[in-house]
Amino acid sequence: MSAVPSLDAPDRRARRRRTPGSQAPGPLASQIGLWVLLACAAVLALAGLFPGLLAPGDPLAVDPAQAFQAPGWSHPFGTDESGRNVFTRVVHGAGPSLFIGVAATVLGVGLGAVLGLLTGLGRRWLDAAGSRLIDAMLAFPTLLLALLLIAVRGPGVAGVVVAVGLSSAPGYARLLRAEVRRVSRSGHVEAARMLGHSPLRIVVRHVLPGALGPLLAVATLGLGQAIVWSSALGYLGLGAPPPAPEWGAMLNAGRTYVTSAWWMTVFPGLAIVAVGVVATLLGRRLSAHLAGRSAGG
Amino acid sequence: MRTRTTRLLALPAALAAATLALSGCSGAQDAQSTRTTLNYATGDAEPECLDPHVGGNYPQALLGTNFAESLVSRDKDGKIIPWLAESWKESADGKTWEFVLKDGVKFTDGTPLTWEAVKANVDHLLDPDTASSTGYLAFQQIADVTRGANDHVAVVHLKQTDSALLESFAQPWNAIESPTALKRPQEENCASPVGTGPFVVDSWTKQDRVVLTRNENYTSAPADAANQNGPAKLQEIVWRFIPDATTRYNALSSGEVDVIDNAQPNNITAAGDNSGLEDLNAPRPGSSNRIELNSGHAPFNDKKVREAFIRAANVDDGIQSLFMGTAPRSTSALGSTEPLSKDMPGSYPHDVDAANRLLDEAGWTKGSDGIREKDGKKLTARFPVSTNQSIPAEQSLFEQIQAGAKEVGIDVKLQPVDLQSWYSALGKDDYELVDAPYTKVGPDVLRILYHSDSIKPAPSGYFANHAQIDDEQLDTVLDKARASTDADERAKLYEQAQQIIADAQVILPLYDQQNHFLHSTGVKGLRALPTVNTPTFLDVEPLPAS
Repeated sequence: MSAVPSLDAPDRRARRRRTPGSQAPGPLASQIGLWVLLACAAVLALAGLFPGLLAPGDPLAVDPAQAFQAPGWSHPFGTDESGRNVFTRVVHGAGPSLFIGVAATVLGVGLGAVLGLLTGLGRRWLDAAGSRLIDAMLAFPTLLLALLLIAVRGPGVAGVVVAVGLSSAPGYARLLRAEVRRVSRSGHVEAARMLGHSPLRIVVRHVLPGALGPLLAVATLGLGQAIVWSSALGYLGLGAPPPAPEWGAMLNAGRTYVTSAWWMTVFPGLAIVAVGVVATLLGRRLSAHLAGRSAGG
Repeated sequence: MRTRTTRLLALPAALAAATLALSGCSGAQDAQSTRTTLNYATGDAEPECLDPHVGGNYPQALLGTNFAESLVSRDKDGKIIPWLAESWKESADGKTWEFVLKDGVKFTDGTPLTWEAVKANVDHLLDPDTASSTGYLAFQQIADVTRGANDHVAVVHLKQTDSALLESFAQPWNAIESPTALKRPQEENCASPVGTGPFVVDSWTKQDRVVLTRNENYTSAPADAANQNGPAKLQEIVWRFIPDATTRYNALSSGEVDVIDNAQPNNITAAGDNSGLEDLNAPRPGSSNRIELNSGHAPFNDKKVREAFIRAANVDDGIQSLFMGTAPRSTSALGSTEPLSKDMPGSYPHDVDAANRLLDEAGWTKGSDGIREKDGKKLTARFPVSTNQSIPAEQSLFEQIQAGAKEVGIDVKLQPVDLQSWYSALGKDDYELVDAPYTKVGPDVLRILYHSDSIKPAPSGYFANHAQIDDEQLDTVLDKARASTDADERAKLYEQAQQIIADAQVILPLYDQQNHFLHSTGVKGLRALPTVNTPTFLDVEPLPAS
């Protein structure tokens, strides 16, 4: 569950894809894949922003007489222990899950960017101190850090955002530090320095654009990871309070009845998997695209 | 290359060695056809202190039943029967009780059972430093304990007559512990309390298990036990803490443990069909499981708002679907195990229209979000739920009640928290609703839960009157019922008390305090002690080897 390998992996993959002989998908298959991927992302975004369009019902409406109904026409994903419509709840759960994921990622990238720039561009002692800080944060298991923060702050959406955001920040920081250092040593930055441009201008005009691309790709990947983590915290009962339609919490509630009402667990679980897969594939595509462009340019 | 070959050769060799070792093990097991270690998994919270005097909750009673014993017990019909005391006598004025103790009983540290032990225990429970709550409240009328005709007669002097005295002495929280052990610092006594029970606390690994070993010199079985003389047949009980209901059930199905408590309704119904598992249904005595409405502050200090909340809740349908027939609906403040409990369905109807009307009358008007408001304040009710003391089906029922309340414009905020945060929320009066079943032997539980004296905290900091009902007439009736020595008058008074509580609309009764123990069919002789229905392992036969 460490952040490091998952953040590094796509980069390496993307570079490998450029080597001759690797089995990249054909252009047509790749195009179709991309459209499917974008369609999935669109459906998820729609569910997140306008859940009422997909599922007009009330995700909190209980009907004890209709409890534990198997999937059917009136409720495609079945009903839960209180007779709530699981489909409606899964759709309405997209909003909070995506919000937590996006907010946590923004927080993580923001913090990571500050830390990464300071260590990548700062003086040697600043780099040493900052890098040790990043090492220390990376050494701390993400979920454990999140649990610690929630234990102090109390459960709730804000706690989860801060917890996941803080936990993912060191991964972004390390990546940005490496990228900034790589770009700083490149020929065009060297040239800019020779021309006597001010350091600030060099950073803003030459270093950052080159370094931010990979960060963006990794952040897309991180989005999926953040949603999975926030679901994990919801599963542990540390997310939004009941009866909020939170995927992780639904997964946990369904687990009790998994032998008799499998749909209570399977569908929220599939939703989490779907978000994770879509974010990961999008992130890889983006990273491959950026890598291809920088290689070509 | 060479290293790889070596490794490849090493693998079969290791497998062969492992197979040999395993077959050796199974051979040893064949020789021994039974095992005498029972594995128990509890879903109740792990006690902070094993001594049931300190605080005094159900998890402590569950464990305490194994190592500590009471002066008297109760049989299946609610009759008080001998245990550590072989007989007792009440004086004519009802203020002095003489208990004749069994001869030759020794605590597991060697201290003999005498009147001094009874005195030391009463003193210990009433000492504020012990921070007792359950035992302390039950012993409020005891003035002193003195020596009778000989060392084996304890005389209990009361401040005033107490019809619940024997019931109080029967409780596991008022068990008699070794006076020598009680003299140790509290921390030490908490980790290794000493009683006269069939088992002894051997070790306690926090957050994991308590190991209990057999008391070889055990002689003090309660009068209704099958095993009247001699030690238990089991050698050891491994008492594991597995808070998660599904994990606990899986541990039982896989044979990792032999008995679990706090079983889930869907698992209980499955146990009937799937032979191999049996259900021991032993509802806890005392109060029913009910939601209490804090009438001490707004908004539930207004009776109309309380009535509205109760009418908004569709409890019947929820219990039916969630508990699958394992828990009948209750409309009484008392559990159905109490002979004097009275069902009052007319006081707790489901009527959404009436709920809306009552709230309109009380001046709460619906805002744009559907939640009612009055003087700029939203109609919200905080509902802390201790996840250590609640199974998922119950939490789902609370969610349904929450949804029902929302329909009439009451915003119920469910707050799932751990046991310590839950106690702290109650202590700070930070709740409007709470579900806090109280286990006690006898109908005197009504006095503990609804007498205005119980709004004041006990030495542990806990107060039992969560509804914060402060009604002079009720206080009088409860005091009279406790002092009454006439059975008919007592029954009438407790009925009257239940009526006053129902009329005040401070509780929403749900069902009996559920207490289902699932065990493998190999466990023979397991029964619940009819005092507070904690399981006793004294009569359990050695288990078939697995």
